Amino acid sequence: MVDLDSFSKLELELRRGVVVLATLSQLRSKRYGYELRQALAEKGMPIEEGTLYPLLRRLESQGVLDSEWRIEDGPPRRYYVLNAEGRKLLKKLAAAWLAMNGAMERLLEDA
Amino acid sequence: MNTQDVIDSYVGDVAALLPRKQRNDVAFELRHLLTEQLADRAEATGRPADAAMTIDMLREFGRPEQVAGRYRVPFDVVDPLDAESFVRASWIGMLVIWVAHLISAYGRPLAEGDSLLRALGEASMQGFMGSFWWPGVLVVCFGTSASLRRKKPLVADWSPRDPSRIGGGRAGLVLAIVGIGCGLWLLAQPTWILDFFWNGRAAPQAYGALTYAESFLSLQGPILFGLIALYIPLYFAVLMKGQWTPLLRHLETGLGVLGNGAMIWTIAAGPVLITEHGDRTARGSLLLIVVITSLILAYQAWNAIRPAPSTWVPSR
Repeated sequence: MVDLDSFSKLELELRRGVVVLATLSQLRSKRYGYELRQALAEKGMPIEEGTLYPLLRRLESQGVLDSEWRIEDGPPRRYYVLNAEGRKLLKKLAAAWLAMNGAMERLLEDA
Repeated sequence: MNTQDVIDSYVGDVAALLPRKQRNDVAFELRHLLTEQLADRAEATGRPADAAMTIDMLREFGRPEQVAGRYRVPFDVVDPLDAESFVRASWIGMLVIWVAHLISAYGRPLAEGDSLLRALGEASMQGFMGSFWWPGVLVVCFGTSASLRRKKPLVADWSPRDPSRIGGGRAGLVLAIVGIGCGLWLLAQPTWILDFFWNGRAAPQAYGALTYAESFLSLQGPILFGLIALYIPLYFAVLMKGQWTPLLRHLETGLGVLGNGAMIWTIAAGPVLITEHGDRTARGSLLLIVVITSLILAYQAWNAIRPAPSTWVPSR
C-alpha cells in the first residue's frame, strides 16, 4: 500500500520533471527571480524559492538564459530572459511535453 | 539580531559554499530576493517582520548546504553506476592487504618475550589501518573513468562481447606460449639465473637455495611442470582455430583446477627446495597462486549469469 510519504516523494519527482519547462515558459520577457516565482504561482505552478533561484543560475551557466543587473524602482535586481538557445530549447521541450501529455491522457483514460 | 542580520547570516552561509567567482554576485541577489520575500510575508500575515518570522522563512527556504548545492551542476566523483563495484573493490582490497599483513607477521620470527597472538593482533591493526590507501587509489581510478565518460560519452558506448574472441589477439597468445615455454625452462633449471648474472661465480648458498629436493623432482615436479606444459598445446589449438570454443574453455578451466590440485599436493607433500628459507618462499608462493586462482575460479562460477525465472509459473 502506497503511504502518504511515498505519494509525496513520487509527486515531487513528477514536479521536478516539469520545473525547467515551466520556468523557461515564463522567461520570454525579462523577469527577476521573485517576480517569476509569483507568475508561476499565479498560474498554478508554485515552485519553492530555494529551488527556483538556483535553477535560474544553473540555466544561465548552461547557456539558455541571459541576465543583467537593473535598477528599477528599488534595489538592484538580476533580470533573466531566454536567449536564442533558450528559445530553441523551450520550443523542443514544449513539443515533447505536449506529445507526452497526449500520451498520458490516453493512458489514464481508464484510471 | 534584526531581520537583515538574520538574512545576511543565512546568505553568508550559502555563499561560503559556492565557487569563489559566483559568491558575491549570488549573495547580492539572494539577499535582495529574501528581503522582498520577507516583506511580502509580513504583509500577508498582517504583522511586522521580526527575527523569528525571518528564521521561519529561511528554514522553509532550505538548509544553506542544500541551497548552495542547487546552484551547482551535480558532480559525482564516482559514477553512481560504479558505486557498488567501488565499494566491493574497496572491501576486497582492504581485506587482501589485511590478510597479507597477518601472513607476513605469521612468517616472521617472534621477538623475545613476545607471543604469537600479540604479534598477530598488532599486525592485524597495522594491516587494517595501513589498508586505507587502497580506497584512495580506487577513487582516482573510478573518478578518472567517470570523468572520461562525462567528457566523451561516445567512447563508453556498449559493444557486444564475443566469448570466442582471443583476448590480446593472436600476438598475445603467441607471447603467452613463448612465456610459458621460457618459464618452464627456467623452472626446470632455476640455477641458470645465477650462471647468467654472476657467470658461475655466485655463492654456493645461492645455488643451494635454488636446488630442488629429490622427492619433489621424482614425483610432484614432473606432474606440476607437465600440467603447466599442457597450456602450450591448448593455446596452440586456440591459435589454429582462431578463436576460443566452449570445449577449449572447459579444457582451460579443467587444467586450472588440476593445476591448483597439483600445487596443493606439492605444498602438502614435502620440501620443494633443499634449503629451509628457499623452500618456505617457494611453498608460500605456490599457496598464494592457489589462493588467487581459486578465488578467481570461485568468483567466476558464483557470478556466472544463468537466465532463469526467480519464481516458476507453471503452464496451465
